[in-house]
Amino acid sequence: MPVSASAIYFLNLRGDVLINRLYRDDVGGNMVDAFRLHIMQTKELGSCPVRQIGGCSFLYMRISNVYIVIVVSTNANVASAFKFVVEAVALFKSYFGGAFDEDAIRNNFVLIYELLDEIMDFGYPQNLSPEMLKLYITQQGVRSPFSSKPKEKIVPNATLQVTGAVGWRREGLVYKKNEVFLDIVESVNLLMSSKGSVLSCDVTGKILMKCFLSGMPDLKLGLNDKIGLEKESQLKSRPAKSGKTIELDDVTFHQCVNLTRFNTEKTVSFVPPDGEFELMKYRITEGVNLPFRVLPTIKELGQARVEVNVKVKSAFGAKMFALGVVIKIPVPKQTAKTSFQVTSGRVKYNAAINCLVWKIRKFPGQTEPTLSAEVELISTISEKKSWTRPPIQMEFQVPMFTASGLRVRFLKVWEKSGYNTVEWVRYITKAGSYEIRC
Amino acid sequence: MAPPYQRSPSPSQPSGKGEVSDVKSQLRQLAGSRAPGTDDSKRDLFKKVLSYMTVGIDVSSVFSDMVMCSATSDIVLKKMCYLYVGNYAKYNPDLALLTINFLQRDCKDEDPMIRGLALRSLCTLRVPNLVEYLVGPLGSGLKDKSGYVRMVASIGVVKLYHISASTCVDADFPAMLKHLMLHDQDAQVVANCLFSLQEIWTLEANTSEEASSEREALLSKPVIYYFLNRIKDFNEWAQCIILEMVSKYVPPDSNEIFDIMNLLEDRLQHANGAIVLATIKLFLQLTLDMTDVHQQVYERIKAPLLTQVSLGSPEQSFAVLSHLHLLVMRAPMLFSTAYKHFYCHYNEPFYVKKLKLEMLTAVANESNTYEIVTELCEYAANVDIPMARESIRAVGKIALQQYDVNAIVDRLLQFLEMEKDHVTAETLVLVKDLLRKYPQWSHDCIAVVGNISSKNIQEPKAKAALIWMLGEYAQDMQDAPYVLESLVEKWEDECSAEVRLHLLTSVMKCFFRRPPETQQVLRAVLAAGIADFHQDVHDRALFYYRLLQHNVSVAEGVVNPPKQAVSVFADTQSSEIKDRIFDEFNSLSVVYKKPSYMFTDKEYRGPFAFSEEFGNMSIGVESEETAASSQRVEASDKELLLNTSEKEDKVLSNNGPAYSAPAYDGYLDTAASQVQSDLVSLEPPLPSHPPKTSSGIDLLSLGLSIKPTPAPTAPTLKLNAKPVLDPNTFQQKWRQLQVSVSQEISISPQGVAALANLQSLLRHMQGHSIQCIASGGQSPNYKFFFFAQKSEESSLFLVECIINSLTCKAQLKIKADDESSSQAFSTVFQSALSSYGTS
Repeated sequence: MPVSASAIYFLNLRGDVLINRLYRDDVGGNMVDAFRLHIMQTKELGSCPVRQIGGCSFLYMRISNVYIVIVVSTNANVASAFKFVVEAVALFKSYFGGAFDEDAIRNNFVLIYELLDEIMDFGYPQNLSPEMLKLYITQQGVRSPFSSKPKEKIVPNATLQVTGAVGWRREGLVYKKNEVFLDIVESVNLLMSSKGSVLSCDVTGKILMKCFLSGMPDLKLGLNDKIGLEKESQLKSRPAKSGKTIELDDVTFHQCVNLTRFNTEKTVSFVPPDGEFELMKYRITEGVNLPFRVLPTIKELGQARVEVNVKVKSAFGAKMFALGVVIKIPVPKQTAKTSFQVTSGRVKYNAAINCLVWKIRKFPGQTEPTLSAEVELISTISEKKSWTRPPIQMEFQVPMFTASGLRVRFLKVWEKSGYNTVEWVRYITKAGSYEIRC
Repeated sequence: MAPPYQRSPSPSQPSGKGEVSDVKSQLRQLAGSRAPGTDDSKRDLFKKVLSYMTVGIDVSSVFSDMVMCSATSDIVLKKMCYLYVGNYAKYNPDLALLTINFLQRDCKDEDPMIRGLALRSLCTLRVPNLVEYLVGPLGSGLKDKSGYVRMVASIGVVKLYHISASTCVDADFPAMLKHLMLHDQDAQVVANCLFSLQEIWTLEANTSEEASSEREALLSKPVIYYFLNRIKDFNEWAQCIILEMVSKYVPPDSNEIFDIMNLLEDRLQHANGAIVLATIKLFLQLTLDMTDVHQQVYERIKAPLLTQVSLGSPEQSFAVLSHLHLLVMRAPMLFSTAYKHFYCHYNEPFYVKKLKLEMLTAVANESNTYEIVTELCEYAANVDIPMARESIRAVGKIALQQYDVNAIVDRLLQFLEMEKDHVTAETLVLVKDLLRKYPQWSHDCIAVVGNISSKNIQEPKAKAALIWMLGEYAQDMQDAPYVLESLVEKWEDECSAEVRLHLLTSVMKCFFRRPPETQQVLRAVLAAGIADFHQDVHDRALFYYRLLQHNVSVAEGVVNPPKQAVSVFADTQSSEIKDRIFDEFNSLSVVYKKPSYMFTDKEYRGPFAFSEEFGNMSIGVESEETAASSQRVEASDKELLLNTSEKEDKVLSNNGPAYSAPAYDGYLDTAASQVQSDLVSLEPPLPSHPPKTSSGIDLLSLGLSIKPTPAPTAPTLKLNAKPVLDPNTFQQKWRQLQVSVSQEISISPQGVAALANLQSLLRHMQGHSIQCIASGGQSPNYKFFFFAQKSEESSLFLVECIINSLTCKAQLKIKADDESSSQAFSTVFQSALSSYGTS
């Protein structure tokens, strides 16, 4: 019995039960109390997401202001359990339209019970695809004997499709205007030493799609990744075009992608689900173009003063802009007074997080604004402890730029009716965990 | 759903009495009404009932009214009603009978959704005396034309099985499920049948042979291939379970293994981490006996695993990291180039950082140590104190496993200059361990340690370490006697018995080295010790006192003999346990780092008994071994009551003169893991805790060496296929005999790679009539004790074999009853060892 959840609980931060669903009898009724007593009210909270109490294991996750707890009594599959929670939350979100928090749960608890019944039976995960569930679980589920006739047809049809072959797309979709939106979203994770050398750096990217296409279209996506290009030139027996090729370390795909074809032909071909979905994820560690370089010099002048100089260089094209740039520069806890000068943007001292927060709304490429600040400290003679410098953290978004250099070469849509489609492609690079030690 | 008695409502929640009766009367009014809009008001009312139920108010008193109201065609109302009924039926079996009627009627509804829902609710009533009503609908549900209903019914069968196993089996449901599993068109139905059958037959297998053969049949080739060929039809969750099942299948030949792996390779690209892990498990299990392919699998799975770590929430990456951790520990050298992936980010939760630190420690080798240690030093200055501590420990561990420790020692000593209490404390403990392994560094270390003021150190462990060094290196530290003196003066304030014990021993050692300066202190410390209320402290002080009274030079031999450097610190987990965890890949075992029986079986909950583990440690000797081990476990159980640091000493002295005898390793393992398991429940796991004081061990080295009696020579060497030797005799012999052959040989890289599975080596050696009596160690160092017996003669050969998997070298020490034939035996042993992994 590798996966079988005995119960699932939704708790708020105080530990009140918002939703509980017992799937099996092998766990006692006082599970919530055990969780509250041994995890929520102790330092254990947050120290490990998997805990054993008595004979049961608690796998828990915090999402906004809700704890979701899965209780198991057997040697369960942890990865699958957490993935289930994540998928379930995504499903709930698609039903409530956006937010998932305590209020949303309280307002929709009947719906959640309904969904919990469908997505898990006796502890075994069932179908979690929002596409399919929305066919037969609706908030307007009224079916009085008088008005039921027109609906009668759809329902049995839906149940057929619940378990049908192409589980992620239903047939007979019609759109007036056939459109595909494709977003490449990359987040850059960086760890840089104080001397400016890159300790570790990688890009995790996602390709998000939004499809409004009629019928059962077949899509084919071409990227400028190395393997794909090599394979293609091999097939067409002509030399690969010069230009930048990207080496993807690892790729994962949405279930709609035909993996056999990817393995043999190295092309991404798929029948997309309707609406929004995540087509693929990838990871790149080689040849990452860092959008920003940060050059900090922080000097402690005696006991009571710290001098901070930070230069931020944008390394992307001069015609591009980064948006929403926030640079958090740590200062000691006992900061009394700060004074600063910047060549662009605004600075504030935020005492709650012990940081100078430097915001630049629009940051053009190939520029290097600087910040120079002087921080005065409350002189405490008793405390000799030196200040351990946390890293500088950065947030940003750079539209039309990919840190990996990945580009879409083509996106072909083929459907038997042969309609025309409009394709929209966007690129954006965001900061993941962008840390510069100082 | 909360059972009604679950908890008393908190003050913020309504007590519910008034509300419940309110709802009850409203339900009554609506029950008979057929006016338009009734459904809407019913819905609001039902919602209210359910929300009361969720917060734990007992609303079972409205059961009959709810049932009355349930005559409706509104599907949402129906669902709410089913939910309510399912929750309370178990505690109101009589009332539940009322619902049977409408549920049975709904099971025949024309709408498959309603049929399915009704059937599901019927199965969740969990009332034993209603099972008779269940068999009929369930049987027709399994044959229903709608996939949705069959899907519900196939899980319903296992629900029925849990209510009444006999009813389920008598109605022949398992056979129907099997038929459905192999013939149904609908993937989810097939998957649910598989879930149910696995569960039923596993439970049933204990009592019925037929069921266990059925369970075997699930793993037969046709069934496995049936699932594998349509694996892409199943949803991700079902795929996980199928992959898990296939990992138990043993393909007859290697072609089949490759077919399966080729078929499933694309699963490594799946977005669902659970599928990736399940596939990895399958690949690793399949290739367990194919050393080089196994190696390739490791290479192949590296990228997908690292991707899974960087995706998703911290909890998800924790789940994956735990598995990565296990693999890294099994094959550190394969991951040594990926060390940068294990660098910690500032905002990561501690549980992720801790795993990463452990992996950084494990993958450190000659080429990357500098970078890794530099990175770890960054963390040591971290604000987060637990993190800083863990990082320092990690640096220390790397120092203990490396050969070139020069630079690392410098770093450690720099920590001492940071003047942060927790850093100093942690570092002191490490410096002590380092000195025990590399006495040659004493000069550098002592110079720095000497500058530390004992006043700044509060933590008992660190204090004990400092005191140990003061005693051990008294001649190098100018003011050692005076520092000890000042510590003895504060004897009364010292609350840790561990520190007081160390103080006693250290003052003794100091006395032997610098008698005139220490005499005063010794008198004071012995007096204080004898007057101490702690039993151990009192006993040790008295013991020293009498020893000194008896003969000072004997006392010196006991307390302060010349010491050997510790080569390998005892490993905390036996390889047996590690293999078991590996077998249970992709489950909680990996996260908890213990095999499932330890946390799912009742008898293992709470304080864990390790006797079984020890019993498994030595192969070849069955009965005597278990008896002996159980005695020892009993003995060490008593030890649990004592101070933990004292433990190893005590354990050893209990065991008689066992120092350097083979059982020592294994036994210490048991002891150490017991200490650990004891600590685990109280605080975060500590690194393995080596013996602190030397006195216990010193005592034991007094054992006299007895010259072996020469035996007549034997012309040719034939070994007894099944020799018998109990561990105690082995220990005695090992102590008595002298080393007759000592040499270093190299092993083939294949052999080293196959070391990942220690058991197979032991079996291999058994095949050559060489038995293993104890094994242990952790990559890269493994230690084994083997023995063999000449056929038709009682003369024995004893072997200590230390294998280093990095250098591919093995060090042999052979002792023999009959020294003349030991060279011949050595040849036999070497050929046996070198053929390992090549066959």
